[in-house]
Amino acid sequence: MHEVSIALGMVDELFRIAKENHAKKITLVRLKIGKMSGIVTDSLKFAFDAIKLEHPLLSGAEILIEEVPLVYECSDCHVSFSAEDIYFPACEACGSRNLKLVSGEEQHIESVEIEV
Amino acid sequence: MCDVCGCQVHSHEHPPHSPLTKGGHRGVKTVDVNQSLLKANEQAAISNKKHFDDLGILAINLISSPGSGKTTLLERTIEVLKDKISMGVLEGDIETDLDAERIRAKGVPAVQLTTGGSCHLDSEQIHRGFHSLERQLKGKKLDVLFIENVGNLVCPSFFDLGEHIRIVLISVPEGHDKPVKYPKAIRTSQLLIISKSDLVQHFDFDINKIKKDALALNPSLKIIVTSAKTGEGMDEWIEFLKSNLR
Repeated sequence: MHEVSIALGMVDELFRIAKENHAKKITLVRLKIGKMSGIVTDSLKFAFDAIKLEHPLLSGAEILIEEVPLVYECSDCHVSFSAEDIYFPACEACGSRNLKLVSGEEQHIESVEIEV
Repeated sequence: MCDVCGCQVHSHEHPPHSPLTKGGHRGVKTVDVNQSLLKANEQAAISNKKHFDDLGILAINLISSPGSGKTTLLERTIEVLKDKISMGVLEGDIETDLDAERIRAKGVPAVQLTTGGSCHLDSEQIHRGFHSLERQLKGKKLDVLFIENVGNLVCPSFFDLGEHIRIVLISVPEGHDKPVKYPKAIRTSQLLIISKSDLVQHFDFDINKIKKDALALNPSLKIIVTSAKTGEGMDEWIEFLKSNLR
């Protein structure tokens, strides 16, 4: 249930962003969540939708989540490839398991749409 | 650590730059943010770490399921090192100060952080808890700060507390499949302690499998097999701890 803490932190950030940009309302929040971030996107949405109702600034805001696939780079032959296997993938080109995760752990606020 | 408590040891990091705004329809704007969802925690963690560094303290974050033996490991560690190095403990639990009491009974200062339902500690709690511990220490220097997280193998792995070393404990009764079930805890830790090794004969627990899976997820992970009952692995653990002192 760390998603509730993450949603609460996100709400604080949204207030800061709204203040800096003199926003009357926040209408859309775009997030990038990696497949291996460990964040359950449905839980995050559920938590945000519950919290936002307490704040007129956020009550109409929707969350749009872009799920970022796992991309590995092989440390032996330096080929990059995306993989579905979260645990023990092997390099598509040379079969090595000596891999570096390049993306898939993202947990970012990408952008916010506001009414000013 | 910051202005919140007025101690002024050092200031926070620079304030963030104002996000760029893009044009759109009149009255509607897109603001580029591109920052971590956990930014507030990450900033407080940087501040905590700087504070620990300034004081020459090694900060260790212990995470595991409930009942893996975090407090017992600390008790055994205190028994061995009490007269050699100065230790302090921040105890995270949802309720009660039972664990802090166990540590204090061994003669080491401890502050209980009760989260009241939350399943993990965050950097701000560590900040406040450490100041509270400093008041107990009355100017005495600490060599090691142990942070015993709330018993949970999921959520604590998301929250950097400003620690230098993260240790994950998995006890034999939990099963050797835990690394693949909780990959984030393994990937973000530097040391895996496999505890309660004296029970291995009573469980279908494959030590080679757990080591292989954990190293596949995190090739640089150090692994120590311990038993508080027989003392197995305690020398290796104490050596690891000593070699990481600041």
